[in-house]
Amino acid sequence: MGPPPVHLLGTGTALPGEPVGNDRLAERLGIPSAWVETFIGTRTRHFAVDLDTGRARWTLEDLCTDAADRALANAGADPSEVDFIVLATATPDALMPSTAALLADRLGIQGAAAYQLQSGCGGAVQAFAVARALLSLGPAGLGLVVGGDVCSKHLDLGQDFRDLPPAALVNYVLFGDGAGAAVVSGRPRPGARAALTHLEHRLAGLGLPPGQRVEWFGAADLRSGTAPRTPVREDYKAVEQRVPELARELRDALLTAADWSPESVDYLLPPQLGGRMTERITSELGRGLEWEPVSCVAETGNTGNALVLHQLDRLLPLLTPAQRALVLSVESSKWIRAGFTVEASDA
Amino acid sequence: MRTVEELIELANAHLGTALAPADAERELTELAGWDSVHLLRLIGLLEQVLDRPVPVDAVLQARSLRDIWSAAVTA
Repeated sequence: MGPPPVHLLGTGTALPGEPVGNDRLAERLGIPSAWVETFIGTRTRHFAVDLDTGRARWTLEDLCTDAADRALANAGADPSEVDFIVLATATPDALMPSTAALLADRLGIQGAAAYQLQSGCGGAVQAFAVARALLSLGPAGLGLVVGGDVCSKHLDLGQDFRDLPPAALVNYVLFGDGAGAAVVSGRPRPGARAALTHLEHRLAGLGLPPGQRVEWFGAADLRSGTAPRTPVREDYKAVEQRVPELARELRDALLTAADWSPESVDYLLPPQLGGRMTERITSELGRGLEWEPVSCVAETGNTGNALVLHQLDRLLPLLTPAQRALVLSVESSKWIRAGFTVEASDA
Repeated sequence: MRTVEELIELANAHLGTALAPADAERELTELAGWDSVHLLRLIGLLEQVLDRPVPVDAVLQARSLRDIWSAAVTA
């Protein structure tokens, strides 16, 4: 007997500004847009920063507030019902106070517990795991699971992109900014759309070098000149190789844990790396099966901790009673496989 | 740039590759360490060296280094 299910009462998302197409991005970076189309396959993304001036227009806190507001409205819930917030991000606005605490303030929530996870593409799943543990402790009120990233902090638009090492360059075409949120409860409530039934997140890269590394540095690093020249690095070769393997392992582990036959699954929410790679992984994971894929990366870019919540936001309106979905994500930082099963609530 | 060997030297000098002249005819997918980001960087380098835009669509469809050279240099 595992922990009780987490009921999904509502979801919401936020993306900053207008979508930025490949022509616009490629022009700004001085690279051919046909290359982005052909090899990355992501069509649009949103940036919190103004591409022309480099000025930040939205903070992570802004985006998380918008997403949480929409999730609460979608759930028909009031902020005063929220007992705890779990927020996952790799790019907090500041190290202190936490974005989770500032989000509570923006929502006017007094007295809630606020947790923040330092995480990547698997972060939303980790946040659901923490929420599930908190909900299982007692008949709490509602929880708010939030994930978001503003990558622009590390996107230095003033440099010559033709000189960037490949491991740094790919980040400029893969990532986008955004946030997502879900309102969760330990008890079914009228209007609950679905329930998260089995969840797993595990480190799966013992001894392996990280696939993604994001630096942070302070005043002393900058003064002494020891701040890393490349603040975001992705070993995209390792990512290309390991993510499909880990996604397969996760798919099998979740199907076993839930005791589901592959044929009984209706929707697949696959790992969201870039448009092209997600297409490849999707067709491989569901080969021979009629799994309907629910993806967002081709339109949103890789929004890190927001991805799974954006996919859930697309999934919930599609679900009809008794339908099932498999949510798979892989975080390539220190190689984490993270996912869960979703079952539609009765009408 | 008059020969595909010069293109290979250019790549080795700037992209950290260790390509040999004999690699000119091989499929790009068979070249150890070669990937789409190298191709992107090579397009940029060729445009600098040639001082003109290269036909990107043709280069992206190239299957070998000689194909790239033909598309970029003889265009």
